[in-house]
Amino acid sequence: MNREEFFSRVRDATAAGRAYRIHTADVTGERVGYAGAADDPAARLIEEVNKVGGTAHRAKSHREARNVLAALLRECRPASALCWQHAVLERLGLCELLAELGVRYLAYDELAALDPAMAQKRMLEAEIGISSVTYAVAETGTLAVASATGRERSASLLPPVHVAVVEADQILADLFDLFDALETAGLDRLSSNLTLITGPSKTGDIELTLTTGVHGPGRWHVIVIAPIVPERSER
Amino acid sequence: MADATLHGALARLADTLASTHRAAYAALHESDRLRERARAIKDATLAELDRHLATLEESVKRRGGHVHFAADAADARELIGDIIHRAGGGTRIVKSKSMTTEEIHLNAALEARGWQVVETDFGEYILQVAGERPSHLVAPAVHLTVGQVAEILSTRSDTPLPADAAQLAAFARRQLRDRFAEADVGITGANFAVAETGTIVLVSNEGNARLTVTLPRVHIALMGMEKVIPRLSDLPVFLKVLARAATGQKLSIYTSLVTGPRQPGELDGPEEFHLVVLDNGRSRILGGPLRESLFCIRCGACLNACPIYRHVGGHAYGGVYAGPIGAVLTPLYDGLAANHHLPHASSLCGACQAACPVKIQIPQMLVKLREMLHAEPGELSRREAIVYRLWAALLRRPGAYRAATYLATRTIGRLAPSGWLRRVPGLGRWTRSRDFPAPATERFRDWWRREGRA
Repeated sequence: MNREEFFSRVRDATAAGRAYRIHTADVTGERVGYAGAADDPAARLIEEVNKVGGTAHRAKSHREARNVLAALLRECRPASALCWQHAVLERLGLCELLAELGVRYLAYDELAALDPAMAQKRMLEAEIGISSVTYAVAETGTLAVASATGRERSASLLPPVHVAVVEADQILADLFDLFDALETAGLDRLSSNLTLITGPSKTGDIELTLTTGVHGPGRWHVIVIAPIVPERSER
Repeated sequence: MADATLHGALARLADTLASTHRAAYAALHESDRLRERARAIKDATLAELDRHLATLEESVKRRGGHVHFAADAADARELIGDIIHRAGGGTRIVKSKSMTTEEIHLNAALEARGWQVVETDFGEYILQVAGERPSHLVAPAVHLTVGQVAEILSTRSDTPLPADAAQLAAFARRQLRDRFAEADVGITGANFAVAETGTIVLVSNEGNARLTVTLPRVHIALMGMEKVIPRLSDLPVFLKVLARAATGQKLSIYTSLVTGPRQPGELDGPEEFHLVVLDNGRSRILGGPLRESLFCIRCGACLNACPIYRHVGGHAYGGVYAGPIGAVLTPLYDGLAANHHLPHASSLCGACQAACPVKIQIPQMLVKLREMLHAEPGELSRREAIVYRLWAALLRRPGAYRAATYLATRTIGRLAPSGWLRRVPGLGRWTRSRDFPAPATERFRDWWRREGRA
């Protein structure tokens, strides 16, 4: 069947189906189900991240966040790290930190210059992924990560450990706020992949026993830098 | 039914999921009005479905993707086969869990063309290795014990695997990573498709859907045409109810919004994106009294709420879609005559409707289907009519009835000490996935006489 026949059948069915419309309470236009995050979105984000099986750390400054990250790296001892290029990570001095600890930094330029199959191999080998976020949602404990050049989707997906560094002004209260922000940024600028992450990779497929890390990262760390830093972070 | 593992697992799953989802609804701000809102969006969308599908097509194309329309299952299988063929190589395919690909029996068709198809959802992978069908919408391998899973996966391992869920998951992770890394094509379903942006939405807890749209060069998404929603701002309404209804989570672990292929400069993600939009009987439903069944967002809440399904499981009644909504959808997609038993396998208690995140009036629809069955009796119901006529004739002749029950108890009854028959001549299709109760070893009247009460 070609496209025109398909559409003509759907058009007829759509018209016929209007006779069977249901009556619902009119809640259009209202913001039903908005929960928000009370006064301290950073505290709420931390609480919710811990609830869904992640480990949240609160840091008062970038220096403190850097120390938390250093401790995690010393514990995991990864050979190589797949990292985002992001202003938040630059402010943290991520490259220097990795060099200090002898962790190989998989730089975007280096990966992009490789044969695609070899670049994929390198990314699959990475033992830790370090990213910031595009936004975070406090009420659900969610990190929104949008793909872009130098912000690969693999960083939060392939390695067994994912660490995300979040600045306070990246935190939104409710899921509805996230979709408002996307709308404001412009729908035609939506990334090819935007993933909302709410916990470490989980399965209950065997006898409902909760098991983490079956496909994605089994360990999920979120470092929240709050109170708000003076300079505006890049989105 | 006599399978204690399945019975225990289903009851536990239903208890866990039903109670967590009740708690999740209770904790959700204005949950009832939010569900009403989700329902209203579905209703309004279906009232303009052709227009929204055209917008979706335009948006996907604008972002460099391709859109294909499939009238039925055969059409969709052929379209997908052609895309894979054109993509070249294409002999290695990974899939993340999708009921719609099951609906069109995609795997068998692709394997018939000599291609390797790997299911990557942990539960589905176990079943694929075992050669079984899923028994639950969100927990497909729930009927297997950890010991059985260890035996199944050990067939793919050099050394026997221990009966430990974490170690079995780690084994599957390693096996499946290799499959992902070598795959040319990734196939997914779609939980939602946003018309105005051309975005398809994939929800999962394990991350296999993410891997499927990150590593292979080509991504093919198959969606039922009713999955479209008009605006991106409609999505949070559904996301807020979907995971709560399915598993009691606020959000599933991963919700991916996929908008076209990778952009220039990006190092991962597919280079080619194809969206296949499937009708397969949906337009027939859309124009009729069962239109509301198209609201279903496949969360599985009705399965966990259903007192019958909790006891017998998803295999007992056949069909791709299990449980209460499956009893509505399977006859509609797969033919009423072939699935005439499904609308009758319900006590119409209404627990499913109460659990549904879009408040589908499932009991009403089952009654409607029963009416439709009476209007057009199928082949099987004619055979049933003959059986009932014989039964009635027997009941009218007491001598013949006494002789027949004497014979049945002394022969079949004593040959099946378990009380269940695995196979009954003439009922081959019925007993393929069920047991038939055997006659008792003696008649009631014999027992009564023996007890000296007559």
